[in-house]
Amino acid sequence: MGDPETIEPRLSPPPHQPNVPAPGAPAVAPAAVTGAAPASAAGTPASAAGPVLPQAGPDEVALLIDDRPVVVRKGATVLQAAEKAGILVPHYCYHPGMSVAGNCRMCLVEIEKMPKLQIGCATVAGPGMVVRTNNERVRGVRAGIQEFLLINHPLDCPICDQAGECRLQSYEKDYGRGYSRFAEEKVHFPKRYDIGRSVLFDAERCIKCTRCIRFCDEVSRSHELALFSRGDHAIVGAFPGRPLDNPYSGCTADVCPVGALTWKPFRFKARVWFLKNVPSVCAGCARGCNVNVATFRNRIHRMTPRVNADVNAYWMCDAGRQSYDTLYSRPRFERPIARGLPDATADQALDRAAALLRDTAKTGGKGAVAAIVSARLSLEDLYVAKRVLGELAGITRLAIPSHEDGEDDHLLIRRDKTPNARGAELLGLGAPSSGRVKEILDDVASGRVKGLVVLGEDLLALPGASPALLDRLSALVVLDAWKSPTVDRAHVALPSCGYGEFEGTMVNFQGRVQRLRAALRPPGEADPAWRILRELGRRFGLTSEYATARAIFDEIGAKVPAFSGLTFRTLGDLGAPVPGGATPGAAGAGVSGGPGAPRAEA
Amino acid sequence: MAYEPLLTRNIHKPGSETLEGYLASGGYQGLRRVLKEFTPEKFVEEVKAAGLRGRGGAGFPTGMKWGFLPKGKEKPRYLCINADESEPGTFKDRLLIEKDPHLVLEGIIAAAYAIECHQAFFYIRGEFHQGYRTFEKAIAEARARGFLGKNILGSGFDLEVLVYRGAGAYICGEETALLESLEGKRGYPRIKPPFPAIVGLYGCPTIINNVETLANVTLIAERGAAWYAGIGRPKNTGPKLFCLSGHVKRPGIFEAPLGIPFLELLNEHAGGMAHPSRPLKAAVPGGSSMKILPASKCDVLMDFDSLAAAGTSLGSAGGIVMDTSVCIVGALLNVARFYAHESCGQCTPCREGTGWLVKILARLERGDGRPEDVDRLADIAFRIEGNTVCPFGEAIAWPVDSYVKAFRAEFEDHAGRRQACTMRAGA
Amino acid sequence: MSLPVRPETDRRIDDLLARFPQKGSALLPALYMIQEETGWVSEASMEYVAGKIGLSPAFVSGVVSFYTMFHRRPPGRHHVQICRTLPCALRGADALMAHAAKRLGVKDGQTRPDGAYSLASVECLGACDRAPFMQINDREFGPVDPAAFDDILKRQE
Repeated sequence: MGDPETIEPRLSPPPHQPNVPAPGAPAVAPAAVTGAAPASAAGTPASAAGPVLPQAGPDEVALLIDDRPVVVRKGATVLQAAEKAGILVPHYCYHPGMSVAGNCRMCLVEIEKMPKLQIGCATVAGPGMVVRTNNERVRGVRAGIQEFLLINHPLDCPICDQAGECRLQSYEKDYGRGYSRFAEEKVHFPKRYDIGRSVLFDAERCIKCTRCIRFCDEVSRSHELALFSRGDHAIVGAFPGRPLDNPYSGCTADVCPVGALTWKPFRFKARVWFLKNVPSVCAGCARGCNVNVATFRNRIHRMTPRVNADVNAYWMCDAGRQSYDTLYSRPRFERPIARGLPDATADQALDRAAALLRDTAKTGGKGAVAAIVSARLSLEDLYVAKRVLGELAGITRLAIPSHEDGEDDHLLIRRDKTPNARGAELLGLGAPSSGRVKEILDDVASGRVKGLVVLGEDLLALPGASPALLDRLSALVVLDAWKSPTVDRAHVALPSCGYGEFEGTMVNFQGRVQRLRAALRPPGEADPAWRILRELGRRFGLTSEYATARAIFDEIGAKVPAFSGLTFRTLGDLGAPVPGGATPGAAGAGVSGGPGAPRAEA
Repeated sequence: MAYEPLLTRNIHKPGSETLEGYLASGGYQGLRRVLKEFTPEKFVEEVKAAGLRGRGGAGFPTGMKWGFLPKGKEKPRYLCINADESEPGTFKDRLLIEKDPHLVLEGIIAAAYAIECHQAFFYIRGEFHQGYRTFEKAIAEARARGFLGKNILGSGFDLEVLVYRGAGAYICGEETALLESLEGKRGYPRIKPPFPAIVGLYGCPTIINNVETLANVTLIAERGAAWYAGIGRPKNTGPKLFCLSGHVKRPGIFEAPLGIPFLELLNEHAGGMAHPSRPLKAAVPGGSSMKILPASKCDVLMDFDSLAAAGTSLGSAGGIVMDTSVCIVGALLNVARFYAHESCGQCTPCREGTGWLVKILARLERGDGRPEDVDRLADIAFRIEGNTVCPFGEAIAWPVDSYVKAFRAEFEDHAGRRQACTMRAGA
Repeated sequence: MSLPVRPETDRRIDDLLARFPQKGSALLPALYMIQEETGWVSEASMEYVAGKIGLSPAFVSGVVSFYTMFHRRPPGRHHVQICRTLPCALRGADALMAHAAKRLGVKDGQTRPDGAYSLASVECLGACDRAPFMQINDREFGPVDPAAFDDILKRQE
């Protein structure tokens, strides 16, 4: 696997994971602290004279947090400054992707010269401020806030999905008293309230931080949620008949710091501490939101957004969140299929495929064989496809089906539902075009095209295709993950990997190259498309080794000018723009502006 | 020497609430004087020199607050009049609104002139139905006569006043919650800074003043700062409307200079204790949010600084008097229920803490107390105070803290009981 | 879609929208207009006024539920509000409340089945010198003891 990259901690950790530092974590963050030498682990100042304030530039502010000097840009808050200094001030209601609410009061810190404690999330860092985040007074107040939050909180941990990634739990362990002094009847609210299509609401667990409401108002701009009543009967809710069902509703479960809002498909499925998280990219549309793919026992149990300021900020859409579902709802085929050759081995199937393609090309002449290639395939798949089919097998005619639905919305969703259309373009395969697909199908109908290689598409699901049309082909070679009517009609069909089963790269609509990672073992004999194509290529004289996806990408970086200089290593977990810069038209098309957009670095 | 009523000079006259009545008593002379003889800045200085401190509860110097407005005029300025009077024990603004609205209105216009604002909002609590009708009428009359609208009294100064009704939420008396309510939202107090003088109503510089404060502005407009500063005590200047309720013979509103002894208010104005056989047990001097004084500590002067020195506060001057028939635990339970009901629920300590306090006090009242309850009450109050978005946290913490401190034995006695308290906090 | 209010009220609400520097402020006065006409604020009214002002129904409902003076269920024709806060409690509000509940045959917070009366204990009404104090709809009464209460009731009926 790749080297452990150090990611500069310029953004808070993903909100569904508590930001409590692991025990034994280094006292000083790696690259983020600027200024004086790091303090010792006990927090005493480096020099006998006390900590020195570093020089601040014209738009900067220098201050001390727990005796650590830190420089931030003007306007940053004390909380952000602390984060930059490697100090995590606990908080519930603050979220870097939304407006400041200041209601949980967990981030109260002591600032010299101010008699009352101040909330770090809303206090602008001032020059020369001396902030204490961890003295006895602050710790006492934090324990008090924890106690207040728990007095009406139900003891649901044993059955609550949030356990293991719950801020209330983690903070109680690190900042709470550890036992309750509340011995009265708790306030009761509806539990298991069906608040939306995909989200369930347990009103008793809610701590009224209003993150979900702010999300719906500021990010999804759908305004389904509000606070109702007041006092300790205040509760989050939706209007009758208008449930929480915007395209990003799952993000409310992400931002909820406790188990009040939960994602229904994940409910009771797995304990989070058993989940293995693999950083990857969603393949649901051309945005390529950065995600964590969580697996347990070789099965994906959920996908959650991973922070990437340039692509998806802190969010992802519900459709993407569920996009792995097809792995379990659509039937797979796991062994190579060669018509008339039951129990064919991969070699046998590939031999048959090569033979069919050669024969068809010979009898039909130039252009008798065409390829229909999916923009859902990775760069590695497409590159090897181009080499093998285009250069070696003489199949130069190629079309990429277009998959479009709806419109680009104000936030993340793209009309183009293929994750690698841009990649296909940059590799010289052209853009998705239903026109060109239709031309090929017309030529199948007229008999001009007698053979088709179909990579990653269900041909019969495309407009203009019909079983009768396919029956006219003398060679139909299909690579796909899914069992489909097209696979049924193929002369040779080879099983390829579905989402999460392969390493590879894709280029999103912004021209950003991002890595998808394998989180699952593919079933049966399914293989990444590039490996199948490589083996097919051997039958056409391919000598390149192409041992791994990394090796193929290295060659792409070396040989394709659009990708020059890129390697898996330089892509890291957040990807990198193609060296030529972003595409015209997609230029600067990061996450649309507004509070949903990521904050500038502190 | 008899005290010459200033704020209450008209309230007993028939037709005092009409413009005719007000003019006949010499009204709007102050406004004429200010418009003719003062620039806005000069009148701000005048109010500063008079030493007027806000009458809504915080006692913040009014002229200083006006001075916080930024110099620039890119954004319009707003004046909000806080007529949300909801502090238990307080009913003085109601008196002015219903019986002498023009005394207040004149002060509003003078204040708006001083802060160069052309739109004022009179935020009145929804339950003041009569006050709402009376003040709307007063505004209409004033407009018709040229005291409002364009080019007031030929000065070139424009002002419109809009009345806005609250709808039953004590918290909307907090200035930033008032702004939220005025903007058509739930009355949630805002994080400060920024302060309303910089970012207020609709994000524009805003001053919020209490009704009685603005009536005092009228007095300053009429007779000037030097005269005004001669009333009351140093740093606690001017006349004050004091409310007394509870176990007194004549509950009511009494005007006196700031600094009048509480016992004089009680015994000479309010007629002393209601029942001869039940002497004074305790009094809350400034509305239920302020710390209680046991009888032994009630020999105090009623002004901001004296009461602060005595460990409590003048607040809204809503004095509540309790005699020996009162169960202090029951009284605190009553007060705690008020705060639990009125808590907006925005921030953790107040939202959860007020409910917890009620539950403990309810158990103590019905004889279901536990030994740790008394310390627990004090501890909860301590953990709320200072940690909330707005002073509502102090408003619940101070009563709990002070009632327990002053009457600890009574609380401990309740904690040890196994039957409900028979003393009522009632007649 | 039919309006939940009379066309005249609809026009008055339109006027409100222009009266404030930001039209969100029109919400509370509009809710009062709706409640004056229909007696309460129904869900249909909330959706209607949300549409008029450009707010979400959830937001409007959240506002309505925050303020005690907006009725989310029809109150009685005579809505009896008795103050329970300390100054009134000190002068017999508890006894008055108990008497009122018995006399009207409703519990605190309930409306009588015949719709004639509803009863609510409310917090300080700012008339503590006339304790125990109460309101019926927008009419004020104080000081009220059980005997006075019965008198007032007789005059309502």
